[in-house]
Amino acid sequence: MRNIITLFSFILIITSCDVVEGPYEIETPDITPIDTNTYVKKILIEDFTGHTCSNCPAAARELEAIHDVYGDQIIGIAIHATNFAVPWTGSGTFEYDFRTQWGEKWSDFFGISSLPSGMVNRIGYPNNEHNLGKDKWQEAVIAELEKIIDFGMRIESDMTNKNITIKTKVLNITEGDYKLVVCLTESNIINWQKDGNDDVSDYEHNHALRTVLIDEDLSTSFSYNIGDEITTVINFDLTSLEQSNNEYSSNEGGVGNIGEWDSSNMSVIAYIYDNITKEILQVEENHLNN
Amino acid sequence: MFKKITYSFIASFLALNSFAQNKSGEIHGNFDLNMQSYLEDEIIGAEAADEIILNNAYLNINYTKGDFSTGLRYESYLNALLDFDDDYKGNGVPFRYAAYSMGGLEVTAGNYYEQIGSGLIFRSYENKGLGHDNSMDGIRLKYNPLKGVYLKSFIGKSRTYFTYADGIIRGADYEINVNEALFLKSKTRIIIGQGLVSRFQADNNPKFKLPQNVAAYSSRLNIINGGWNYSGEYAIKLNDPVGSLTTEENNYANGSALMSSLTYSKRGFGIVTEMHRINHMDFRSERAQEKQYIINYIPTLSKQHAYTLLALYPCATQTEGEFGAQVDVFYKIKKGNLLGGKYGTKIIFNLSRINALNGGNSYLNDNMEHTPMFISIKEEELYFKDLNIEIHKKINKKLRASGILAIQSYNKDVLEGKTPGTYGVVESTIAIADVSYKIKKGHTLRIELQELFADGGEGSWSMGLVEYTISPHWFFTAQDMYNWGNYEMSKQLHYVNINCGFLKGTNRIEIGYGKKRAGIFCVGGVCKEVPSSNGFSLTISSSF
Repeated sequence: MRNIITLFSFILIITSCDVVEGPYEIETPDITPIDTNTYVKKILIEDFTGHTCSNCPAAARELEAIHDVYGDQIIGIAIHATNFAVPWTGSGTFEYDFRTQWGEKWSDFFGISSLPSGMVNRIGYPNNEHNLGKDKWQEAVIAELEKIIDFGMRIESDMTNKNITIKTKVLNITEGDYKLVVCLTESNIINWQKDGNDDVSDYEHNHALRTVLIDEDLSTSFSYNIGDEITTVINFDLTSLEQSNNEYSSNEGGVGNIGEWDSSNMSVIAYIYDNITKEILQVEENHLNN
Repeated sequence: MFKKITYSFIASFLALNSFAQNKSGEIHGNFDLNMQSYLEDEIIGAEAADEIILNNAYLNINYTKGDFSTGLRYESYLNALLDFDDDYKGNGVPFRYAAYSMGGLEVTAGNYYEQIGSGLIFRSYENKGLGHDNSMDGIRLKYNPLKGVYLKSFIGKSRTYFTYADGIIRGADYEINVNEALFLKSKTRIIIGQGLVSRFQADNNPKFKLPQNVAAYSSRLNIINGGWNYSGEYAIKLNDPVGSLTTEENNYANGSALMSSLTYSKRGFGIVTEMHRINHMDFRSERAQEKQYIINYIPTLSKQHAYTLLALYPCATQTEGEFGAQVDVFYKIKKGNLLGGKYGTKIIFNLSRINALNGGNSYLNDNMEHTPMFISIKEEELYFKDLNIEIHKKINKKLRASGILAIQSYNKDVLEGKTPGTYGVVESTIAIADVSYKIKKGHTLRIELQELFADGGEGSWSMGLVEYTISPHWFFTAQDMYNWGNYEMSKQLHYVNINCGFLKGTNRIEIGYGKKRAGIFCVGGVCKEVPSSNGFSLTISSSF
């Protein structure tokens, strides 16, 4: 009997292996465009990065690959922070200052010490499971996409009158302490980046956090009625925001990037998070010049 | 769920304990406590702990009665020492087991540690110094059907911190002592073995085909004849892509590892020659997880030094790819001549060299394929080199002396995972003198003087240590490490440590105060970064 048990366990284990033959990539169906008349669950991936972090471009590529698979349900922010984001002033290479005061603040708050590191809707906080390596993002995205939508969001941007309107619809929440964050990101910034063993002078930086317009209570009340619509209007002045960012850079030993912001490449990202768990419940993105 | 199982187990254990009092079973255990205070010290970059004092403690209790055994380990991290990962937090009983053996079959349920061969494809072990514990939780069977034939198989999940990884690990191994099994009376003894491990994890990747069952297998051979001993093992790990959504991040290539050593020894002389070639052989209990999830073990091919400055730049095994060779020679000059003196003289020579594989480790995806040359040394990037010679001499009944001279090369970028080109290779020459003098019965004074001259890294160091032992109960040590050659004047600092210990029976208590530098701490090629610290320490160990 014992011989049979042992032999049986051997056979089971010996047959327990898969050898995958190439091609390894599977043909995935085209992404169905999101029906703008309805609300869908969207996911925010906060990619903490730095221009002297040689492993960070791989994380940026993973973020783009996730977006390619799941489409516009995936929204990314590249948050330049930690020592890897410190500009090498006077070097002629990594002088650009991508840092923001919010990037440094969030990096400290969420304990980002090594890069690349990312958060998917900040899941895992505060159990110290929120900082995920890039190869764990996709798995977290799958789990998040299965969740019920709590809020619907729409973003309208008016460059002429310099205001942004966020319309939030309550779909599945009756109470809670929620915050609304609205920020600006910019893509197509061509500048230096370490990538593996290479120093790339014309690297394309995308979704770089430029500024945060608000981080405030979603509502004056902790109670909500399903179907309620909350409208938040934010006035902004891009020039003064850029100047403010430039002053932050100067105070932190950088030389700033005055005149570098290009509104045609900028996006508005708005998200709602639970003030207790910090989980992001819904996020939306739209071009600044929509 | 984890807690419920644990508490049920403790209740059963206590019940068994009371039963055991009447049936003469045996209970053994041991306790370890490591407490440290952390003061802020801007000069050495040490951070204060909010808790002021941090504490790691462990209690093992094992009960045996005949062929039955059971036990548990209580672990307490309140909160964990700063050189431990934050994920070690709180209290728990993460290790509990019950086992019995009967008629050659041994069954273990619960937690266990296991290893196949030398660990190339699987090693579950714990090392509290490294903060490493990947014990298995599941079932293990061992069976000895015939004399000289040993079989084992197991299934379970691998621990990381207080949780278990997603992957389900299955393993099997056989080992045959040919001489015993075939009743041979040859002077040459042969032992062969083969093992296989498989990890199951569901494929949830929408873009790439992933193997759900990733296997690794190995074969080993040991031949012993008189003073000769050959040991070799070859392992292969089948396709194990990380599961990324980008083509270039998913490596479908097989990994491999080869270890080979030949030893010859006779009275007063021994020589060991070793080589290993490691290629894409990192095996983890879950895809895309951190190094804390590693379930195999590849021993380093360099000498494990005990003296502080010799181990200042230790070699860490590069599981993704390296080729190395080492030779160790031991010779004892007989007493009664000029070199041997009255008691003889021991000389130990060691040389190890480890470099990159040609063009990097094996790589395979839809766009590219690479297989490195089997052996390539001359043109490859050097990872580590250590040439050292030791002389140990008993001069008279009261005086012993040792001297060591070493030349080391340490590729800081590779071995510490830094950005290539940041630090380069640290070249160092190290000299050690260790003198021990027996003042009177039970009273011994030992002095160490160490000097490291370095080009690169933190520059040169000196170290002195004085140790006074009053046998069998007391010891006192004072040491100073001085980084006099640091390239930054502000970092030319002293790191002073004072310790006092008391031993009685199986109890050992040690208190200390001092400053520790930030650095790399390694055991057997597995390394971790240790932050600088300044504070008091208390360690207690006890067993019964």
